[in-house]
Amino acid sequence: MSTKPQMIEPKGMGPGFWPVMIGLTILNVAIAAVILYTPLDWILPEEWNPVADRAADIDMLFKFMGVFGSAIMVYVAGFVLYAAVAFRRRAGEPSDSVGVQLHDAPKLEFWWTVIPTALLIVLVVLTVQVWHRIQFGTVAPALTTEVVAHQFNFEIRYPDWQGSVFSPPGEMHLPVGKPVRILVTSADVIHQFWVPEFRLKAAAVPGLVQNLNLTPIRTGTFDIACSEYCGVNHSKMQGKVVVESPEAFERWLAGERAHATTAASVSLGGGDAAAGKTLFAQKCAVCHAVAPFEQKIVGPGLLHLTDDPKHPKLVDGKPPTAANIAEILQNGYTGDIGAMPNRQANGLSDKDIANLVAYLASLK
Amino acid sequence: MHAATTVHADHVHDHIHPAPEGFIRKYVFSTDHKVIAFQYFFVGLFFLFISGSFALLIRLQLFDPAGKFLSFDTYDSMFTMHGTVGVWLVVIPLVTGALGNFIMPLQIGARDVAFPWLNMLSFWLFPVAGLILFSSFFFMTPHAGWTEYPPISLSYGVGTALWCAAIICIGISSTLTGLNFTMTVVKLRAPGMTWTRMPLFTWATFATALVNMIATVALSAALLALFLAVVFNVPFFDPARGGAPVLYQHMFWFYSHPAVYIFILPAFGVISEVLPTFTRRPIFGYKVIAFSSLAIAILGFAVWAHHMFPSGISPWLQLPFMIITYAIGVPTGLKVFSWLATLWGGRIRFTTSMLYALGFLIAFTFGGITGIFLAAVPADLHEHGSYFVVGHFHYVVAGGAVLGFLAAVTYWFPKATGRMLNERLGKLGFWLFMIGLTGTFLPMHWLGLEGMPRRYASYTYFAATHPDAVFWNRVETFSAFFMAASIALLTINVVWSLWRGRVAGRNPWGARTLEWTIDSPPPYYNFKKIPIVFGRPYDYTEPLPYQNLDHDVDPYPAPTAASFPLPAPAGAG
Repeated sequence: MSTKPQMIEPKGMGPGFWPVMIGLTILNVAIAAVILYTPLDWILPEEWNPVADRAADIDMLFKFMGVFGSAIMVYVAGFVLYAAVAFRRRAGEPSDSVGVQLHDAPKLEFWWTVIPTALLIVLVVLTVQVWHRIQFGTVAPALTTEVVAHQFNFEIRYPDWQGSVFSPPGEMHLPVGKPVRILVTSADVIHQFWVPEFRLKAAAVPGLVQNLNLTPIRTGTFDIACSEYCGVNHSKMQGKVVVESPEAFERWLAGERAHATTAASVSLGGGDAAAGKTLFAQKCAVCHAVAPFEQKIVGPGLLHLTDDPKHPKLVDGKPPTAANIAEILQNGYTGDIGAMPNRQANGLSDKDIANLVAYLASLK
Repeated sequence: MHAATTVHADHVHDHIHPAPEGFIRKYVFSTDHKVIAFQYFFVGLFFLFISGSFALLIRLQLFDPAGKFLSFDTYDSMFTMHGTVGVWLVVIPLVTGALGNFIMPLQIGARDVAFPWLNMLSFWLFPVAGLILFSSFFFMTPHAGWTEYPPISLSYGVGTALWCAAIICIGISSTLTGLNFTMTVVKLRAPGMTWTRMPLFTWATFATALVNMIATVALSAALLALFLAVVFNVPFFDPARGGAPVLYQHMFWFYSHPAVYIFILPAFGVISEVLPTFTRRPIFGYKVIAFSSLAIAILGFAVWAHHMFPSGISPWLQLPFMIITYAIGVPTGLKVFSWLATLWGGRIRFTTSMLYALGFLIAFTFGGITGIFLAAVPADLHEHGSYFVVGHFHYVVAGGAVLGFLAAVTYWFPKATGRMLNERLGKLGFWLFMIGLTGTFLPMHWLGLEGMPRRYASYTYFAATHPDAVFWNRVETFSAFFMAASIALLTINVVWSLWRGRVAGRNPWGARTLEWTIDSPPPYYNFKKIPIVFGRPYDYTEPLPYQNLDHDVDPYPAPTAASFPLPAPAGAG
């Protein structure tokens, strides 16, 4: 049976509290200076010279959290390591030596509750401001683009220039300095549209359109990456954003539209309705039923595409001729009902289009 | 001892059933919480080897950006199985099953949990779940990550169905264990053990049990819906037929965020026991630590959508989830500061267990701070789905829950087996683990911020613009083997010590909670007489606050010869 153990009690806050506190504070000021006044491009791409308006806002938030987060980390780790050395049991101490028998220190606890809480309140105010600018603070967009994610590519469309063929698929061109709206959705499973340099991400969810806003402020070419698991080739699902001068953008657009007009006429002769039926089951039946117009899956039923008195026109307002149906199959269409992918996205050859048109025309 | 206590003990309960005879009743279908704890321990350790092997395969795949080691398809099933096994067949059985079962009833002076049969059922659901999950290797493995978001998970029909069935078993087990532990803590505490005299590990287990009991039901519902969707084509998640894919994410995370607290709260409890014992200091801020566990458990129910900021939820819904997630930082911070203050002014003994606890303080704090980065909506829109997230949660799970578990194993092993672990091997294992942890998970943070997405079987495109990515991925791969070596060393240590370890005696560390007043290993029925409790177990200059103990124990317990020579420098008495 042993007796009451011997207590070894330090004075005041104990040895070294203030020296350690001051030392760690100097270290923290140095870390804060590095975070605030040196380029962080090695962790945050293009931080020093942002490429989008929202990126600068978000990086300000990162830096705020970086300064205070690293400060808390340095204090905790510093005091753990210091205590491990300063308060280790020394050689020659009795085996039952005990430390300070102190249960609480209300003043200390008050400060270490109040200071982090106050920091978090400041963080709430800051984040809510940035959040509000990102979600609601947009000027009217000068340009709208659409991203329809597929396994395993990003289809990029420009609804302002309906019917144009844009190639290669997965390359988004944006004019620098113009506010842009990006609408993101998916044709199959959930994907994510991520442009790290823009600090921009949204899930591409089937049946849901997400609305992103930004203004690119510097030219360059950046990767788009899918960041939600979407199937076996998930890691091969990338695209590109090309931010270019408005003149270069106009040149690119003119080139694409010229290309679109030359590519318009697919020869529809020799279309095989039976082959079209097989193809329809593979490519179209996910969204379209062979049923009256009202039976929608994603798009309308196509049973009476060419002879429905209630719907005498196609979605683009043209009469349901073979050539006009082929045009929608080639170029896709975005309207009130939703988005019909273009031929690149659906992987349709000229022959496939001819077969599908033959099949659709045979439905009565 | 005293007449009064004898009367009290009669009043409590006083007939002891004989110990079961025969191998099957004693070691297989046992209702004894200690045997069940060992069963959980071995099952958890077995699956830790499997999950760890999968992790090594993942790291080998990423050694080279082209990712030629495994086929993409195999890689996808590896990260899916690594996560699934790691969460549900390793961490949950180890921290709630093994630690909770073994320690909590002993700490409250109980002879078993409230519902021993239910406890046995809870355990046996785990091997069943394991068999169902691993039977998928004969048909088709699940591929869509441990979260199994539809619609992609629906393309791996059999695999996803088996996955759902397995995890539903674990869900039922967790719900029952939660109920069982809650009732045990509420009803079976020894006389005199008021809520504010309860040891802090028991407090943490109680908070965990509440979360388990309430949250896991949502998981079972989510997985049942997914099961129906994949097997019977019920269109819960199909937008073309009026369903919503995001609905699954809400149901899944309503459980899976609180699940993070199921992992980490027991570790908090372990740290709150280990620190006072090896600093010989009363735990600083007992009530703050006890009640912050409850606060974290409650707030943990209102943060789930922070996993879904880019998933297509209303922007206005992002705000409350962000602010409540920030708010969890406050009780968590109070715990960390209280632990720091417990170190301050102590007389620290560097046992293996104490080293793990110190490692926990640093690694967990880091994981907590990066959690705040992820809670901020605008920042999360950059970090989500990147390696930053992978780094963050591995710091919380491996640096938090696993380090806490290792601190617990090295602390309670003498109590559970009657033998001391080898301290030299233990310390070597600690340093290997810390080097491995840092090297594997720290670089993930900057790779993620630079733009490296997770769940990529190949990162050729990323390495083309970020040449440093190859270097850091190789560092991660090498470091992962350090962690594997540490776990291998622990296994060797456990086996060797069971055979050749020093005999521990009742109380090698000089700890003061009730489990250290009985024999090591504890006898069947734990306490022949139910002890009576007069105070908290953390006052090293007061006599032990118990009466009616089974043995005459030292009123001022100190580390015994069995725990020397390593904790004691030369010349110590």
